[in-house]
Amino acid sequence: MLAILARATSWQEGTQQIVIVSALLQPVLLSSLLLLFALYPLLAKLPYPQSIALVLVLVGVVTMAIQNWGNIFYLPQDTIDQNYYLWRNILSACAITALLLAYFRLRTQALSPALHQAKLQALQARIRPHFLFNTLNAVLGIVRANPKKAETALEDMADLFRTAMSHASELLPAQQEILLAKQYLALETLRLGERLQVNWQIENLPDDALMPPFILQPLLENAVYHGIEPLAQGGVIDIQFYKKEDALHLEMTNPRAIREHNHNGNKMALVNIRERLALQFDIEASYTVESGEHFYRVKIVLPYLKSTADRAKHL
Amino acid sequence: MTLASTTNTAPLTIFIVDDESPARNRLKELLQDCTQHMPLKLLGEAANGQQALDQLSTTPADVVLVDIRMPQMDGIELAQHLNKMSPPPTIIFTTAYDTYAIKAFELHAIDYLLKPIRQQRLLDALQRARTAVKIKTEVLRKVSAQARKNLSSQERGKIYLIPIEQVCYLRAELKYITVRTLTREYLIEESLNALEQEFADIFIRIHRNCLVAKKEIEGFEKLTEADTNETHWTVKLKGLDEKLPISRRQQHIVKEIS
Repeated sequence: MLAILARATSWQEGTQQIVIVSALLQPVLLSSLLLLFALYPLLAKLPYPQSIALVLVLVGVVTMAIQNWGNIFYLPQDTIDQNYYLWRNILSACAITALLLAYFRLRTQALSPALHQAKLQALQARIRPHFLFNTLNAVLGIVRANPKKAETALEDMADLFRTAMSHASELLPAQQEILLAKQYLALETLRLGERLQVNWQIENLPDDALMPPFILQPLLENAVYHGIEPLAQGGVIDIQFYKKEDALHLEMTNPRAIREHNHNGNKMALVNIRERLALQFDIEASYTVESGEHFYRVKIVLPYLKSTADRAKHL
Repeated sequence: MTLASTTNTAPLTIFIVDDESPARNRLKELLQDCTQHMPLKLLGEAANGQQALDQLSTTPADVVLVDIRMPQMDGIELAQHLNKMSPPPTIIFTTAYDTYAIKAFELHAIDYLLKPIRQQRLLDALQRARTAVKIKTEVLRKVSAQARKNLSSQERGKIYLIPIEQVCYLRAELKYITVRTLTREYLIEESLNALEQEFADIFIRIHRNCLVAKKEIEGFEKLTEADTNETHWTVKLKGLDEKLPISRRQQHIVKEIS
């Protein structure tokens, strides 16, 4: 169409040309569409390169057929070489189809589930090196005096890292996530002792609830790093996890040290969780932060999913 | 400070500062292992900077192993206060992970130990400790990511910490700076300009020789000198009777603050 307008010398000539070309273009477009729709079951079964070839051949044939049937209308008065005119139209129809197919191919690749998956995995919150090395050091600190305790600590650590490195998109029982969080807290208690107090309120959480893995642990790690560690006397982390209507509500509150300066990009873990929730649940999940002078609170709302059927919707 | 011949035979005295008890325990075990290779004596341990200063002022140690990330006062600030002791101890920093501090240490060639610490690495550091060059306070200040939470003043061998939020004003006298709190005065040996920079969000300069805490300002008063009949502005601070003169150059703060 643009080419026609570019070639035209006046508005009148332009519109006239468009009408003439449309007369050929529309039937080709519509019949190709109908044909492709009818052949879809067959095309879907073929491997990608073959189906592409078939589509191109189809479009070519349709163009040829329509051109031949409507010869009287389409043959321009001033053109002598009818053969050339026919092939030109078939070729341009095929070229346009190929371009469109290439575009759709790119588009699906960009939005493919595989990419979605990869993105989720990249977002899978990572355990802070600060925690890893301090915990290893703490385990070394007790291994001679209390080998049993050191063993448990290393086992907890193994579980933690296994989950951290696992598939991100699979929903897991919320109870399992809580167990993991408790193992993590046991490791932190090893280092921080009495300074770390945790208050769990999870009585109203159904046993069958599912949630994405590694949501709770990074939240707690953040709370410990920014809320508990900077306080000499330590503090309490409050966790409330309950079901209300058709949603799971998770609320975590930790004390906040005043004048805590940070240069480690501390918000990373939280941004990460927010993005993972958005990727997985879109607007069905929400994540809000409330912070005062002495406290920091994260609230997460998730859809209440319990079966594999519910689960399928979100994978 | 003591005779060189005796220092070679006397065991190296060591003090540990770390807020995590398993980490202190680990260091104690490693030091125990090191005693097979060199004479060492552990003098004590502390879980925070204040405790460390209290204990070290009565029983000074040759080497202090200082964790960087601690609540209240971080290791780099503690090192600055320890530098006021005479003689100051050799400080060896320990850290599990702190990209910022490590980068700064590398830049200023400051030695540090990465936790978990290997025995050989600790031994090397301790063997170097007697001859090691002490880290300068100015360098520590550069390395520090944040302003100190305390000033410190040395009086008769003891180091007093003055929490920065208790300071009403800082005034430069001939060689010292007077640190005024509600209850008393301390003398410190620092530069007023450096203090002004370090605590830019806490203090404001009212005179060439004086910084006052912004939150302590109660009001401004105009005073007339009896002998010269000149008038000038003064600052009145909460809880203090004295009125501090504002220099002509700094008079604009009267408008900016009130």
